[in-house]
Amino acid sequence: MAATTESVRADAAEAPLLNKKNLILGSLVYVVFYAWVRWYEGIYGWSAGLDSFAPEFETYWMNFLYIEFVLEVATAGILWGYIWKTRDRKVMSITPREELRRHFTHWTWLVMYAFAIYYGASYFTEQDGTWHQTIVRDTDFTPSHIIEFYLSYPIYIITGGAAFLYAKTRLPTYQQGLHLQYMVAVVGPFMILPNVGLNEWGHTFWFMEELFVAPLHYGFVFFGWAALGVMGVVNTEVAAIAKLLKKDLA
Amino acid sequence: MSASQSAVRSRAEAVKVSRTFDWLICFTLFFVVLGGYHIHYMLTGGDWDFWTDWKDRRLWVTVAPIVSITFPAAVQAVLWWRYRLPFGAVLCILGLLLGEWVNRYMNFWGWTYFPVNFCFPSNLMPGAIVIDVILMLTNSMTVTAVLGGMAWGLLFYPGNWPVIAPLHVPVEYNGMMMTLADLQGYHYVRTGTPEYIRMVEKGTLRTFGKDVAPVSAFFSAFVSILIYFLWHFFGKWFGGTSFTQSS
Repeated sequence: MAATTESVRADAAEAPLLNKKNLILGSLVYVVFYAWVRWYEGIYGWSAGLDSFAPEFETYWMNFLYIEFVLEVATAGILWGYIWKTRDRKVMSITPREELRRHFTHWTWLVMYAFAIYYGASYFTEQDGTWHQTIVRDTDFTPSHIIEFYLSYPIYIITGGAAFLYAKTRLPTYQQGLHLQYMVAVVGPFMILPNVGLNEWGHTFWFMEELFVAPLHYGFVFFGWAALGVMGVVNTEVAAIAKLLKKDLA
Repeated sequence: MSASQSAVRSRAEAVKVSRTFDWLICFTLFFVVLGGYHIHYMLTGGDWDFWTDWKDRRLWVTVAPIVSITFPAAVQAVLWWRYRLPFGAVLCILGLLLGEWVNRYMNFWGWTYFPVNFCFPSNLMPGAIVIDVILMLTNSMTVTAVLGGMAWGLLFYPGNWPVIAPLHVPVEYNGMMMTLADLQGYHYVRTGTPEYIRMVEKGTLRTFGKDVAPVSAFFSAFVSILIYFLWHFFGKWFGGTSFTQSS
């Protein structure tokens, strides 16, 4: 153990392989932000979210929707644009240590993607079930949908897109083409958002009640399977990292 | 630094780096699988899982195991066949149960005020442990599909029996006979889910009379075997590392 401590300490002067501050800060952003969102739902869901024709619905829910649309488009544009604009044009000539550092940064993005997927696909989607099985809907933009479809889904799309772009623009592992399972893991859950169109069409013209296992919802199921593509990403990463670690020691 | 050089400077650092990646990978895999599995399960078997008055002897017993064996089969196909980790199914079920319990408490109870003893999730852990152990002992996808899939379906109802039995005792209410679970449903009205939507013990061919649950479990076990085969190969594909050709 003493040898371990000494050898690791010798590298302390250079930038750390894993930037723990970014990892912790990023995690806190998701957890604190969604805690605030849940608080907002709890307060304004019942007091202002039951009747879409009421003025307070416009104040507390439709304005929330308009603001989140603008912020999401801006965030996606700026974040994805920044990652692409600052891409490494000589990615194949980086040192093994720099490559390892970038794998850590890539995994920081993937951890954020895990937070985003959890809140989007698990927390807010099942929450939508209890809200709509309890409250009769009179609009497509219910309080539950404004959070689930138009906030948590775009957030995991933005996060997944950022992780994929980071890998594609900075890691030699992903330069031989487009990683099929990675694309599936990012594009599949992305397709859940357009599938909202089918959901709303069905609920508008077919039935207003909420039966969660209705075939109308199967599009969400199909695209949810795509999350399993993360296993292909893990396999690729494990092989790449093992290769980096097993080379001759410097 | 040459291309053959390592990215780390000592074996100790290699170990530290490797362990750190392990944690990052475990966290990500757990929560992404949780998200995908949960949305799949809630939208294919969710209504039977949400409410005790849907947890009947027939459709709950039939549907829940069939739709829940999917992700465990797929994750086993990667964790066991690539890494010899014998806990793919348990990992999936732990994730699913965590997602469900957080939701039932924070949202079903915390937002729409249904008591937790009306909306607790089904217990899938006994089947998960058995199917993982069968795969570990036999190292055979076929045996796991047949014996494990069978056990998955058959163990579901007994695994939930200690929880659900007290709610299946008969009560008489306003001259009508019903179960205690049905009575919960009457008292906690879900306006968006009227009674005509509820799918409980539907069907008229009650040939086997009192044997509704065993017959349902047996049928469920049969389909679970087939679904396991299918999803094993889905899992293999999802675990692939192929690239599309650059143009």
